[in-house]
Amino acid sequence: MTTDHKYRLVIDNITKRYDNQAVVEDLTFAVEPGRITGFLGPNGSGKSTTMKVLLDLAAADSGTANIGGCRYRDLSDPAGTVGVVLEPNAFHPGRSGRNHLRILAQATNQPLGRVDETLAAVGLRPEAAHRRVGTYSLGMKQRLSLAGALLTDPPVLVLDEPANGLDPQGIRELRELLRVRASRGHTVLVSSHLLTEVEHLVDDVVVIDGGRLVTAGTIAELTASSARVRTPSPQVLSQHLTTAGARIETAGPDTLLVTGLDLDQIGDTALAAGIALHELSAQAGSLEDVFFALTTPTDNAQKGFPS
Amino acid sequence: MTSVNLVRSELRKLTTTRMPLTFGAVLIVLAVTNGIAVAIGTDMDGSKTFISTGADQQSLTAFAANSLMIAGLFGAIAAAREYANNTIIATYLNTPVRGRALRAQFTAICGGGAVLGLAGAALTIIAVALALPTTEHGFMMSAGDVARIIVASGWAGAAGAVLGAGIGTVVRNTGGAVTGVVLILMIAPPLVVQLASGTAPWIPNTLANVTSGVAADTGAAAAVIAIGLWALVPALAALWSVRHRDVT
Repeated sequence: MTTDHKYRLVIDNITKRYDNQAVVEDLTFAVEPGRITGFLGPNGSGKSTTMKVLLDLAAADSGTANIGGCRYRDLSDPAGTVGVVLEPNAFHPGRSGRNHLRILAQATNQPLGRVDETLAAVGLRPEAAHRRVGTYSLGMKQRLSLAGALLTDPPVLVLDEPANGLDPQGIRELRELLRVRASRGHTVLVSSHLLTEVEHLVDDVVVIDGGRLVTAGTIAELTASSARVRTPSPQVLSQHLTTAGARIETAGPDTLLVTGLDLDQIGDTALAAGIALHELSAQAGSLEDVFFALTTPTDNAQKGFPS
Repeated sequence: MTSVNLVRSELRKLTTTRMPLTFGAVLIVLAVTNGIAVAIGTDMDGSKTFISTGADQQSLTAFAANSLMIAGLFGAIAAAREYANNTIIATYLNTPVRGRALRAQFTAICGGGAVLGLAGAALTIIAVALALPTTEHGFMMSAGDVARIIVASGWAGAAGAVLGAGIGTVVRNTGGAVTGVVLILMIAPPLVVQLASGTAPWIPNTLANVTSGVAADTGAAAAVIAIGLWALVPALAALWSVRHRDVT
């Protein structure tokens, strides 16, 4: 299997509607080979739909999604090019894990011996592989999903929440696996809601919310992209900064955390409005801080989960 | 990937769950029930005229109508569970040209239905043959009659499975697909005949009996073709469906 850098993923102005409701709207970003890209957003933000459009499982209303310049269906060997984890429970519960992989191996012209190699690679023991999938834990199912994605040793991985249900050991193994793949020039797109895990795993981040791109860049750029502003007029300054395109989070009675504008823009906006600043400094936040500053809370988060 | 490998992969799907055993068990139960009926059953007047001639025995063992229904349920469950379990995602990722994936899937299901039909007829004939010595009647069907019943049942099984798979693919829900098969093969035809009596020769049960040689409402060749058309319509609907709908 080739491992050169031709498999760049490009999402170009994708819009996808269900029942006249835009689930993904005018979304554009690229995923570079040789890097691990995190695809983040709240529940229902359009991550899975975007992946399905990329993989030709759903048709976009407008825009294109390409893998190395081709639509998924136009790839000469789609399953040999892209390994996918999409649904957490895409198995027949009455079929053994090994038979699940044998079916995939047969459909993709892989030797059946490759099944055992892949099962070993994801840490599923032979006795577990012989059991029916309906008896598996969530973590075991996730390992089986990963085995399916790795079966053809593809140069592109598209993984939707691959760490879901994995134990700490499994998460560490997943991290190492993806890191090795990226170091070989493979393209890796990973969606996840485990932000602290993503922070340790990915090189680049794409954040979407409400189906629209919020930000994209390296993780270093993103976590350094907020500013701490102290002012005697926080409310007035908030209005001016919001008008200028910033997102504001209140960090104290006179303190704002500002994202979406750089320090110069914030200073110029305050000066133009005649507002004094007592502090203006770059803020290195965690990915979690940045994520919540950039995205709208989901209904559950707004209401609070029942204790 | 080759089409042969795709079909093999689909056959492996069908044979790696308990579904074949379940349907096999149904066939055995039906065959044993027929054997018991021959051994201890009688007509209303207490006689055994229902097995007294070759034609009676042919009528008793004609399995094609049963094949249509059983294989229809088999096809419906096999196709619909792909959506219920989300395994259709892997199918379309491996073969994004969906018409090709559907052909492979339906070929395997059609083969499974044919096997069910052949086995069902053979088991029924064997059970009746084994039970006849307990009566005063011998086995009176000719080899040609036996062959016709088995072949007709195999054809009905193949067509029924495709019909069921078509419904399962369109409905994408196991319960709905099973209901659809029962509706189309069992409940709707008598109602349609009530509305238009001229359709009576073309309902699935009649056609199956014609192909088995126990009815003469139409010609045998026409019945064979008509059974194929009953399967073709839902198969074409399924093809349109997979080409135009997202996998959600």
